[in-house]
Amino acid sequence: MNTPADEGNNNLRYAEYVLGVLDADTRAEVAREVQTSDEAATAVALWQRRLIPLADTIALVEPAPYVWARIRDALQFDQAPRAAASTPPRGLWNNLPLWHWLGLGASALAVALLVIVMRPQTTAPNTPAAPSLAYMASTIQQDNGSTGWTATMDLQHARMVVVPATPVAFEAGRAPELWLIPAGQKPISVGMIALDKPTTIALDPTLLASLGPTAALAVSVEPLGGSPTGQPTGAVIAKGAISAAPDAGGRGKTVALVSIRNKPLPSV
Amino acid sequence: MSVTTPAEREELNQLLLQTARSDQKAFAELYRRTSSKLFGVCLRMLRDRAEAEEVLQETYTTVWRRATSFDASKASAITWLVTLSRNKSIDRLRQHREELLDDPVRMDETVDDSPSPAVDAETSQEHQRLESCLDELEPKQQSSVREAFFTGATYNELATRCKVPLGTMKSWIRRSLMQLRACLEQ
Repeated sequence: MNTPADEGNNNLRYAEYVLGVLDADTRAEVAREVQTSDEAATAVALWQRRLIPLADTIALVEPAPYVWARIRDALQFDQAPRAAASTPPRGLWNNLPLWHWLGLGASALAVALLVIVMRPQTTAPNTPAAPSLAYMASTIQQDNGSTGWTATMDLQHARMVVVPATPVAFEAGRAPELWLIPAGQKPISVGMIALDKPTTIALDPTLLASLGPTAALAVSVEPLGGSPTGQPTGAVIAKGAISAAPDAGGRGKTVALVSIRNKPLPSV
Repeated sequence: MSVTTPAEREELNQLLLQTARSDQKAFAELYRRTSSKLFGVCLRMLRDRAEAEEVLQETYTTVWRRATSFDASKASAITWLVTLSRNKSIDRLRQHREELLDDPVRMDETVDDSPSPAVDAETSQEHQRLESCLDELEPKQQSSVREAFFTGATYNELATRCKVPLGTMKSWIRRSLMQLRACLEQ
């Protein structure tokens, strides 16, 4: 039997859940209750109506366009006809733990080779003119020669995975921003990248068109929200040339990767 | 985008209901009209752009998959969406809680004042009512409630930040919640 005190306590728990002060375990308990009990769901909804209006004061911040591209991609919108062919690489590209593991000591070449090895060969019969430069890679090195990040670009699916290799220290309120620098041109912002985990970035057509062996990638120190000017405003802490990843079938142009000073090349 | 008039709220409700029927166009329009709000929420709580982007992505993929569970009689679409983005952000914060507590720089960064209240005319009636009820709370309790709401901190974290015993923080927040309920129900 519920006493008024029980009811009060329960109601408080729902209020605490909506406010967000409960620890992970208690949150999970209440979340389960909301799923299974209509009474709990109603009580939580009431507290949401009471408290969520506080969010009215939160400033609007427009997300970068690639977020929508990633959402569409994750939900596989407009991709039904290609779904069968693209499933294996999607699995690989979305395997963040794998990228993280690779980032701990893998060279860009090794990452690129792995992508090639994992790439399905089934598309070949229908597409004799398969792009030979389907993948590109870059080792983004710091001034001291250690690898800061490795970047692998999948041109066909218009995306890039940037994996941190060596921890880089940033002062509070600063974050790394990745730039693409086409030969002789101004840097183009690719996006903010993480220090401690892989970042997947959808490449818009401008970026895609500018990728190539004559372009370079660079990382600069910027405010958390990215450079306010659209050009690098802080120190450039790492740079790397872009190279075509060797093609699986021996087709295409194989360009030597930028020197990987502190890591031996894997024997191929 | 601002969601202040009942007409705008109703439009968002419709878009979310259409999304529940797998209408990709409605979903795209819903994203266009609400993503800056939700991204603001994620960024405010997570304070890391890349992480906020990931959580925003998770939020909208969940919107697409679970839109059928939206019940317009229980909450408006914008409340449902903001709640979802807050829940995802809080889950993410709880995952990283230990890392964050170990990081004194990050800890300092999270202690800040409540957000500057938006111009009254720009916020909803519900918000203005809530603000006037918050104003009736003791200043310390009021700022604890705000800090909790905007940063997603646990009781423990709030107690540490405000340098008060855990029990004190719990009773501040609980008393505040009860007072708010009474005030809003008047």
